[in-house]
Amino acid sequence: MAYFINSIINIAVGVAEEGLVYAILAFGVYITYKILDFPDLSVDGTFPLGGAVAAVLLLKGFNPLLTLLFAFIAGMLAGTLTGLIHVKCKVRDLLSGIIMMTALYSVNLRIAGRNNVAIFDKETIFENGFLKKLLPESIKHYETIKRYETLVILLIIALLMKLLLDFYLKTKSGYLLRAVGDNETLVTSLAKDKGRVKIIGLALANGFVALSGCIYTQKSGFFEISSGTGAIVIGLASVIIGINLFKRREKVKATTAVVIGTIIYKACVSAAIALGLSPKDMKLITAVLFLTILILSNIRKRKVNAHA
Amino acid sequence: MMSMFGACSKGSNKDMITIGIGQYAEHPSLDNCREGFLAGLKSEGYEEGKNIKVEYENAQADNSLAGQITDGFVSKKVALICAIATPMAQSAYGAAKDTDIPVIFTAVTDPILAKLAKDDKTPVGNITGTSDKLPVEEQLKMIRKILPEAKKIGILYNTGEVNSVSAIEEYKALAGNYGFEIVESGITATADIPLATDNILTKVDCINNLTDNTVVSSLPLILKKAAEKKIPVFGSEVEQVKSGCLATVGIDYYDLGVKTGKMAAQVLKGEKKASDMNFEIIDKAAFYGNSAVAKNLGIDLPKDLTDTAGEMFDSIAE
Repeated sequence: MAYFINSIINIAVGVAEEGLVYAILAFGVYITYKILDFPDLSVDGTFPLGGAVAAVLLLKGFNPLLTLLFAFIAGMLAGTLTGLIHVKCKVRDLLSGIIMMTALYSVNLRIAGRNNVAIFDKETIFENGFLKKLLPESIKHYETIKRYETLVILLIIALLMKLLLDFYLKTKSGYLLRAVGDNETLVTSLAKDKGRVKIIGLALANGFVALSGCIYTQKSGFFEISSGTGAIVIGLASVIIGINLFKRREKVKATTAVVIGTIIYKACVSAAIALGLSPKDMKLITAVLFLTILILSNIRKRKVNAHA
Repeated sequence: MMSMFGACSKGSNKDMITIGIGQYAEHPSLDNCREGFLAGLKSEGYEEGKNIKVEYENAQADNSLAGQITDGFVSKKVALICAIATPMAQSAYGAAKDTDIPVIFTAVTDPILAKLAKDDKTPVGNITGTSDKLPVEEQLKMIRKILPEAKKIGILYNTGEVNSVSAIEEYKALAGNYGFEIVESGITATADIPLATDNILTKVDCINNLTDNTVVSSLPLILKKAAEKKIPVFGSEVEQVKSGCLATVGIDYYDLGVKTGKMAAQVLKGEKKASDMNFEIIDKAAFYGNSAVAKNLGIDLPKDLTDTAGEMFDSIAE
């Protein structure tokens, strides 16, 4: 029995860890998809971009914490380019993302130098005795804590990112961002450049996505060029699950909903594997899950409208 | 509760141990590896269903799935993880690093580059296995023997596959010794193959395949285009020769799996620790030829090769 409970806890910890890594990606997708109403596919390229930056900098001996900053900046640059392609070259939103995603494949290969770069022997944000330094030496059960070290570190980073995003959305620039998604003409009537606001939003969003990729690579111990495939789907599913789940609870912040949505999404995937469903069917399961949530949220919307 | 627990242990064999097999993609060579692995275990007394329970998962070349699969094995506390192909092995290593679960990998071309072994070939942790490194030098020697006049060898490969990139580097380093020049053509998706093949066929005397998944999955198309121009295509393993490549000097993935299974058995028996075993390479590479293809191309395969062949095929498999 103890063995059973132990393995349930282990699986739950694994799901929470995965969920928190991808929650940071989902913050980015939340900004583009939910706030800007911009389906940004560059995400599939910016996620491994963050990983490539992490791998190269760690190999060069950079401080792991510094790689987080550089990955964020690299993501912001990529997002800015997607924005410029859309706003300045007047390319449709979906196509701008596809162009950027395609270009980033080569860029990522150039940055990493290879399609697979292992960083097992490098110090990462998860392996620098961070918690050990934080906690007094006298704590006897360090081994027990160590099991949760990765989780705690991820929790701290995800929480910090959530608070920063919450804070940003309350600034003037954040309000403008939300206004662009809701009502473009309002922004124009305020004599603000809506194109510029969009670019800022895309930059920020892809910064979050690259940060997520950077953390993912450090957690798994190796960079792999294909790691971004389907990142946008994970992000979208997480955002939609989270937002729809907490739609009527106004006290829950959207960013909190997104974090919970990501963990639920990862739990569904884990449950599907545990139930013995073939990995071959994984994408189909994702699609069905995705569709179900969309349909459920539409039904609810209709009900609300009918009552009104 | 106690009775349920009791019934449970009575129902299953007391000595039953669970091992996890994680395979990165679905691919004939990797499937052969897995089958060989189970056969290797069996020859050492570990039979599936009898005294071991095998949990098999395939990541279908999806990295985040590979991570979730190996995390799953670790949380179920399997007795051993067998990881097939490089990204799976890396995921397993990462997942099992802080536990006492041994990892046995196979079909990893360059364990040192993948940081699954130290530069001196000793283990980096509780992990060891087998490498499917291509016998590049033997392959070049064979091509020289079959095509004495050839100058340029064309190689198509996916820039996204790590095994291919390290193989390309080795080909380029050694080609000069045998009077060859390598003409490489990097692609990123199956969709790029038709144009890349047309292009490379205008420049080379023959094509040489790697164990590149993208290229191998489009092999029929490449063979058709090459046959139209009467340009020979060399394979990198027996399955490719079976389906229409002229010849190869390659390793048998089933044998590689058997070797891996035997290593795993030693670990399960407690005779050795994965952390004390260096990874192994199959040193015996055999010649495989296809006489039907040779006939179509009007090439005579040298007798000293065919006489010592591991296997000769006289038809092209569908």
